[in-house]
Amino acid sequence: MPAMPTVPLLVEEGAEEEGALLTRERHAAEVPWTTTVWNDPVNLMSYVAWVFRRHFGMDAAAAERAMLQVHHDGRAVVAQGNRELMERHAEAMHEYGLQATVERAPA
Amino acid sequence: MRRFEPVAGASAWEALIEPEEAALLATLARQLQVLLAESLEPGADSDPALRALLPDPYRHDPELAEEWRRLSRRGLVERKTGFARTLADLVDPVADAEHAQPVRVTADEALDWVRGIGSLRLVVAERLGIVDDSEPLGSMGENVSVLAEVYDFLGWVQDDLVRVLEQAEGHPTHE
Repeated sequence: MPAMPTVPLLVEEGAEEEGALLTRERHAAEVPWTTTVWNDPVNLMSYVAWVFRRHFGMDAAAAERAMLQVHHDGRAVVAQGNRELMERHAEAMHEYGLQATVERAPA
Repeated sequence: MRRFEPVAGASAWEALIEPEEAALLATLARQLQVLLAESLEPGADSDPALRALLPDPYRHDPELAEEWRRLSRRGLVERKTGFARTLADLVDPVADAEHAQPVRVTADEALDWVRGIGSLRLVVAERLGIVDDSEPLGSMGENVSVLAEVYDFLGWVQDDLVRVLEQAEGHPTHE
């Protein structure tokens, strides 16, 4: 999704030690989660794009891209972050009548 | 029903609504409240309309799904019920009127309306058996034509409310 920055799954650690660039896998709690909006046969394309502008503050072009991705691919990841926030986003989508789910971001 | 127009000197919009339209919206909004109340009772998930209204946000994680249902589902049901109540309360007086009356909404009320209608369209679509967005409603036979008209009417109102809310946010209208 263009609207959300990508969070790298590997963090640099100990780079100060003799210039060694070490990486470690993130703890489960650090792995980001995503909110996915799914295509449905009810909501109009203009409505979905407006919900994305209104709720996520996407600009018109980003909202249109995300909406078209939902329409053509059947789904789009619209947010990434901690699980509580992703759950709030999914519930907000459900308040508008869209279909959304929360998933662990792919490692 | 006419389009909502800005009220001069107030952060509000008004639309002229016919008593029949108001009665329809009020009836649908009340049925939605009943349906939502039923969703909190055991075994309610057998109704596909409820599954569309209250989708499971953790489709692939039974444990988290169960936790969400226990802790958060009721809150979502109550918020959705509130949207339907706002809609019913605003159109109720017009339903009993003899002629079309103006209904005034603030931006907050318009946001409740638009979300209430979002839920109503899900339920009506479920009752209509809409599963494919490429299928024209006209092809579905005479017996669903009234419900199909309701569905289209709700879509029209939703679109108009989006226009109102875009005006309220200071964005250019999309039409």
